[in-house]
Formats: sequence, C-alpha cells, structure tokens
Amino acid sequence: MEITQKFGLEVKLFLFQIVNFLVIAFILKKFLYVPLKKILDERKSKIEKSLLESDSAKIILENAKKEKEKLLFEAKNNAATLIETARVSIVEAKKRAIAEAARNSERILDDAKQRAAEEFEIMNNQVEKMSIDVSKKIILRILSDLFSNDEKQKLISRALKKIDEKIKN
Amino acid sequence: MQVRPDVLFSVANFPVTNAVAATIISDVVVVLFVLAINRVVSLEPTPLQNAVEMVIDYFIKITEEIAGERASFICPWVLSFFIFMLISNLIAQLPGFELIILKMPMSKSCNKVPLLRAASTDLNFTLALAVISVVVTHYLSIKCAGIKAYFTRFITFRIFPVFLFVGILEFLNEITKIISFSFRLFGNILSGERIMATMYGIFPLGLPLPFMLLEFLVAIIQAMIFAMLTLVFMHIMTDKPHTI
Repeated sequence: MEITQKFGLEVKLFLFQIVNFLVIAFILKKFLYVPLKKILDERKSKIEKSLLESDSAKIILENAKKEKEKLLFEAKNNAATLIETARVSIVEAKKRAIAEAARNSERILDDAKQRAAEEFEIMNNQVEKMSIDVSKKIILRILSDLFSNDEKQKLISRALKKIDEKIKN
Repeated sequence: MQVRPDVLFSVANFPVTNAVAATIISDVVVVLFVLAINRVVSLEPTPLQNAVEMVIDYFIKITEEIAGERASFICPWVLSFFIFMLISNLIAQLPGFELIILKMPMSKSCNKVPLLRAASTDLNFTLALAVISVVVTHYLSIKCAGIKAYFTRFITFRIFPVFLFVGILEFLNEITKIISFSFRLFGNILSGERIMATMYGIFPLGLPLPFMLLEFLVAIIQAMIFAMLTLVFMHIMTDKPHTI
C-alpha cells in the first residue's frame, strides 16, 4: 500500500519495535520498578514505624510528666507534713528541755541548800570551838588577876569539866 | 519531505534504519541507567536514586489515586512507557544527533542520510508502543474485570440494539486509540524535528535555541501524555462496566 510505504511501515520493523519494548519493559520492571518499589515500601514502613514509636514516646513522656507532677505533689505534701511534725517535735523538745532545766535547777538548788546547811554546821562548830577558846582565854586572863595559880588551875579544870559536860550533853 | 526512516544497512533481510539505530541507542541508555540505579539502590538514597524515586513515587501515587488496588498491575507498564519514551525523545534532542551524515550510494531517496533519527519519528516505533499499550490494556481488563465483563463491554443485548451499537463504538474506539496514540507522538516529534532542521538551515547560531527548549518540553510532555493516557485507558478498561 502506498500509505504504508510513505510512512515506512514494515512488519519486521514493527515486530522488532514490539519485541524491543517488551524486553525494555521487562528490564524496567524487574530491575528498576520492583527494587525501588521495595525500597519505597521499606522506607514508608520505617517512617510509619518511627511515627508510631514517636507517638508512643510522646505518650510515655506525657505519662512521665504526669508521674513527675504527681511525685512533686506528693513530695510537697510530705515536706509540709514533715515540717509540721518537726515543728511539733521542736515544741515538745523545747517543753521537755524547759522541764529538764527546771528539774536540774531545783536539784542544783537543793544541792546548794544542803551544802550551805553543811557549811553552816561546820561553821557553827568552828564558831563554837573558837568561842570556847576565847572564853578560855578571857577566863584565864580575868582569873589570873584574882586567884593564885593553884586556884586558877582548879577553877579552870572545874570550869572546863562543866563545859565538857555541857558539850557532851 | 521524507517521512519514512532511511535504511542504513540490512542484517539477514532485516532493514536497519536510522530510527532503529536510535532505538538501540535508547535501549543501551535505558539499560545503563537501570544498571546505574541498581548498583546504588539503598535505603539511604544517592541524588540519582532520589531523582528516580521521585518519578517512580509520583507514578505510583497517581496510579493508586486513579486505579486504586489495580495500580500494582498498571504502574509498571505506565512507568515503562514513560521512561523509554522520555529517554528516546530526549536523546533525539541532543545537539548534533542528526548531524552525522552517511553517504549512501545504494539509497533510493538521496545520497546523504543521517546516521541517527529520533525513534519517535518512525511510525513503526510509535505504532508498536500504541499496539502494546492497547493490547496490554485489554489483557489487564480480562485479568482484573474477568472475561465476561470484558466481552460485555463490546457485545451486549441489553436494550437491543442500543448497547450493541455502543459495543461497536467501543470497538472502534479501541482502534482509534491505536491511531491517536501512534500519530500523536509521531506527528509531534517529527514536526519538532523538521522545525529544528529548518531553524538550523536558516541561522544555526542562536536561532534554534528557543526551539530546542520547546522541543525539550515537547519530548517530556509527549512521554507524559502517552503514559497518562495509557494509565487512564487501563483504569477504564480494568474497571467493571457500569450496568443500567
């Protein structure tokens, strides 16, 4: 036909082009489309997985935040309770310390009183002794002018005997 | 003006034309391109893999949007049409592609013939792609919709003879598809080639540049149109026919 000759249509060339394209289509499908589709799918699933993981991480983070807030709240409450307890303890300790101090001061006062009484007793004895000595000396001085030595001795011994008796009594 | 490609030589009675030579070069480029991609393909893509992935992802998404679950059957074909046609069209846009002239004393038309000629300017090439597109569409139609639904599209006795006539129109439509597919691509690329040749003839310095850019666009657009029409026809044919 004239038109096929004009356009150069030939069965052999036409079949060659068909076979050629089918081979190229096979190569493109087998070595380009399939591997790249696989890579694209893998990447897509990886991205989806990562997104899911990030979502779960977000949930975990939110839970952790809630947990943190809860713990902070509990800690604040505990701290307030502890402060209150400490305050009460301090007041009680203060009361105890004051009572203890009062007891100690009473004890010290009693001790001091007892010691003062003992000191007074000792002093009393010493004063008594000293007064006897002084009396002895006064008597000896007075009597030395009125009596002789023998009489003095007798009187002194007699007076001393009376004093001793009195002391003993 | 000569429309048919020139025969360079014959191998066992097979005429090797300059369009066939260009087709073989396109094949080599496609194979090298596939090998290059295959060597670097990984989960962490190189710039080349990224670019190819972008194209493939675009086609996968658009096929899934149009054809839904049938995308896995349709997409490889659409992608093959696009890539092969794009590469063969772009190779023809390279400066000096048709400037290698051979002296052919045996040639009937003229003594000097270009060694290479855009594959799409050979009607055998465009017609072969059109026939493959339509035949594969019908094959997928039978595979996806079933043989009964496939034949119902062409032969049905409902509301006789209205749907019988519609069936005949559908059949004619399939033939028209082949013609429109093949002649659209053939005409566009051939006219572009002729315009470029004319511009080179008028003023080779600078004047062809805007037309080169235009032809570059035409090369991409024609590949896209062919792929998209194939996608739409495959979607329509693989869909079950609507009943009244």
